[in-house]
This record gives sequence, C-alpha cells and structure tokens, in this order.
Amino acid sequence: MAVNNAETVEKIKSLIYKTCLYQDDCEWKNWLDLCSEEFNYYIRAYSPEIQKDMEYMGGPKKYMESITGQLRKHNIDDSPLKRHGVVYRVDLSDDNQSATAVTSLTVFQTLLGGNNSHVDSGTTGVFLVGRYNDKFIFDGDDVKFIEREVRLDTRRLDKGTHWPI
Amino acid sequence: MSARNHKQWNAQPNLQSGEWVDSNIYSNEQIFEEELEKIWKKMWIPVCHESELKNAYDFRTMTIAREPVIVVRGQDMKVRAFLNVCPHRGNMIERRPSGNFAKSTPSGTPKTMTCMFHAWQFDMKGKCVNITRKYEGYQDRLCESDVGLRELKSEVYFGGFIWVSLNDNINQTVEEFAAGALESLAPSVNEEPLEVFHYHKSIIDCNYKLWHDTNCEFYHDYLHYHNRITGFNDEYFARKNTGFKGGHVNVGSFEVQYENYKGFHSREELSFPHLPANQWYMIDMFPGVNFNLRGSALRSDIMTPLGPNKVMIEFRGLGLESDSPKDRKIRIDHHNSIWGPFGRNLCEDLIAVTGQGATMHLGSESRQILHGRRENETIHDENGMRHYYEEWGRWVGRSPSHPDQPFVEPVEAE
Repeated sequence: MAVNNAETVEKIKSLIYKTCLYQDDCEWKNWLDLCSEEFNYYIRAYSPEIQKDMEYMGGPKKYMESITGQLRKHNIDDSPLKRHGVVYRVDLSDDNQSATAVTSLTVFQTLLGGNNSHVDSGTTGVFLVGRYNDKFIFDGDDVKFIEREVRLDTRRLDKGTHWPI
Repeated sequence: MSARNHKQWNAQPNLQSGEWVDSNIYSNEQIFEEELEKIWKKMWIPVCHESELKNAYDFRTMTIAREPVIVVRGQDMKVRAFLNVCPHRGNMIERRPSGNFAKSTPSGTPKTMTCMFHAWQFDMKGKCVNITRKYEGYQDRLCESDVGLRELKSEVYFGGFIWVSLNDNINQTVEEFAAGALESLAPSVNEEPLEVFHYHKSIIDCNYKLWHDTNCEFYHDYLHYHNRITGFNDEYFARKNTGFKGGHVNVGSFEVQYENYKGFHSREELSFPHLPANQWYMIDMFPGVNFNLRGSALRSDIMTPLGPNKVMIEFRGLGLESDSPKDRKIRIDHHNSIWGPFGRNLCEDLIAVTGQGATMHLGSESRQILHGRRENETIHDENGMRHYYEEWGRWVGRSPSHPDQPFVEPVEAE
C-alpha cells in the first residue's frame, strides 16, 4: 500500500463515491466488484420504539450477489434512488493494512410510478437518512471493502425497496 | 363483449351478494368516521408486545382511533393502559414512543408520569399524586382524587401481545373476542416468552381494509416471485381458509420450499415450538391485525387507520426470548429476507395496495371490487375476505356491496 496517507485517504473516498454511483445506476456487479470475497453488508438502525438495535438486511457478498441477481424477476418500484454521501472521516490503521470510514448519507427518491404516475412521477423526496460505516482491507496497492454498515436514522420506510442502499 | 362502456362497467357483476364490495367503503369519509366510532373504538386492539416494557416503569405510547394511549408497567409489574391525556388542559402527557419513568424528568420527580405543561403528576396506576399549587388555585374545590387518568381495558394475551380497548363496556375477554382464531398458533407462541427484534412502520395511501384484504387473500401470490417459486405446488393449493366468529380468518399451513429461491435456506432448525419444519400460518384478526408465522419468525402487522385513504402499519418481528445470539441472527435474517423493508415480498405488497389506493381515493367513481373466487375454501378462494366483510357490515350497519343500504344478515344455504 502506498505510504502516502493522503493518497490512501483520497483513494478510499473515491471508492465510497464509486459505490454511490454504481448503486444509483443499479450496477450491482460493479458495486460488489469493489468488495473483497469476505465482504459483509448490513442495514441497521436503532429503534427508540422497541429500544433495540435492529438489523434490516444483512449478508455476505455471495448473498448480495444472489439477491441482486434475481431482481429482474421481482415486481420492484423503479423509482430511482440517488445517494448523496459526504465522507466525514477516514482512519487508517497503524500498520496501514486496513481503514475505516464514516460517510454521512442522504438517499433521495425520484418517483417514477409513485401511487399515480400522472401526478407523482418526477417528484423527489428524501427516502432515508443515515451513515455508511465502512471497513477496508489493503492488498498491495488494492483497496477493497470488507464491510459496509448502513446505519439508518429512518424507520418509517413506507414501501421500502428491493435495492441495497 | 371485450372492453366495456360506462354502463357496462358499472353493471352489477354476475356474482352473488357478498361476492363483491363497493369501492366506496374504501374511500368515503363518512364511512371512515363510522368505522372509527363503531369498530375501532369498540374492539380489542393489540398495541405492542410485553417485551417492549420489560422493566417496572417502562412505557410505550400509541394511538387508537385518534385517541392517544399510553401503556405502562407498574412497580407491581402489571401492565396498565391509560389515555395519554392530562385531565387538566388536555395536553399529551408523554410524547416519547417509549421510555422509563423511574428517572426524573425536567418537570417531574421519579416514578411518576408528569405532564410537562403544568407538572401535574400521576402514578403507574393512573392516580393523580400531585397538583402543583393545588390549594392556591383550587382551594377545597378540586383534589387529586378527582383528576385521575382515564384507565383503559387491557390484557396480555397470545404470546405476550398487549391488547387495549377504548370500550369500557366490552363484554368479552381477548380470548372470547378471538373466538378460536388464535388457537392454531397458541401452542407455538405461548410455550415460552417471545421478544420483539424488529420494528418499522409504513404510512401509505390506501384504506386500511385494503392492507387487511392483502393479508387475507393469497391469490396475490402471483405478485411475489419468491412465493411462486417456493410455494406453488399441490400442497400449497390445498391450504384452507377458515373463518371464525367475529370476522377473523386463519390460513392453513404447508411446507415452504425456501431453498427454491437462490440464496435462501430451509428454516427447519429454528422452527417455533410445536411447529413442523418450514410451515407458514397466517391469522387475520378483525378489524385490522395480522399474525404471520413462517417457521422461524413471527411477524405482526398492527394497523392504525389515519384516514379513508391513509393507514399506518407497524411491522414487528419476533423470536424466542431464549434465543442465543447466533439463533437470533438467523431468525432476523429469515425475517428480513422476505418481510424486512429491504426484503423480497413486503415492498411488493405495499406497491400493490397503494396502486389500489390510487384508484379508490376520495371522490373516485365507485366500482365493484370482486371477492368472488370460490375454490372449496382453499388458498385462492376469497372466502376470507367475504367472511371479513360480512362482519364489517354487521358493525357498521351498511351493506358492503351497497353501502347506502343497511346490512342484512345473509340467508344460510340449506
């Protein structure tokens, strides 16, 4: 791994923003190609209602490949999501072999069908708010995601979505 | 005849009475107000689960038919329900969704419910224990014993769910109200304590009955790729819909082939007690509650109607309190894979019912909604919905097919 920490930080930021673009465009394979084989994905939230930490979605890379690979067979809401992320911090490990990052996340949804497309299509609203808590491993010059936790504030999710966030 | 003109479109379908309903029952404001008064304020409604109030002084807040409700666990560990309304000036006493009254609040001392507005205080039994500057303001005209909270009927029943009724005169226990509808799952949910592990809510633009319909009829499994590929076989099509007194319905079980969906696995190792492997039971309780057990995870849908074309649905997932962390994680994964807000099925159901809501909102032309499939009361028979609407007609006093006419008891076939 490059010893220049600033370069590494920029590389990690660039990776995070790439995931936003790939996921916005539903390019699930390209997204998962940025992840190591040991990658795990989680969507979690704390519920003040039941006073518990919850997991809304979770699985290893193979599971994510499986469910994203079958999306075309499902009746999904095609309203596109746009992920607005701002990387707040990147922390490199002392041995320069791994890193963590925190990204503030807002996801907007622009309705396509909505309830009645004649009225709703083109309307943009906030779909959810949260953070990406990411972990990375370094392999030579290569950096890969090994874990992504999407930590949500939002617990009213109306229709939800088939898509990973 | 192919496509129809307006007259043909509005013609009465060639079905028997009760095999269709008028869409006005999903969109009419007057009917909605009658439903709140005649049904929702009269029934037992499950509002939360006892695992959400494990400790003394824990509380949960909610709403039934626009009335704010608070459920608290007293020092005696008994659960009680009250209107969440201060008898002084009508302020909502507690605004948080949950918490514990053991600690003090900015306006109040520990172990009391304190209205922040003027600091009137109440104990966990609803008794007023402090009126600030009482003698200066009320002299001897009003004292604490005059201004207790309004207590509501409550019961803990069916695997620890907390049921509340706004109706002081309800003359049934929850068990009597359920009329046997909960018995198919009672051994599984009553064997040992359950615990809620999942909560999220949806507020969607459709009438609450349309969500209940979707839980009552399985013909819509064509909507779900997952259900088609893991379900459609002879055993699935033989599942029975059984009606119970009071408008409740059971959907019988069968063995789901989860492994037919790529990436999913059998749930055999974590079946609820007394439940054969990979079974799937559904109980639909009048007027808008659903219990859904897919082998390893129990789901409950509790509806709060917000308007003729708006409903809040609270989704909970439950496992066994005794679960090891590893087992709990597996249960959560099973639950989420289908029923989570990012799962395979739930969002499909929500898309479909909002599509119905979009055609049946206030001012929409009334039309017939068909409930006429008859298949010997098996899974794609729509007898569950017919059973529900017969009960609905009794409570509202309107015919579901002709809501401007009074309900008439159907004549039993000889």
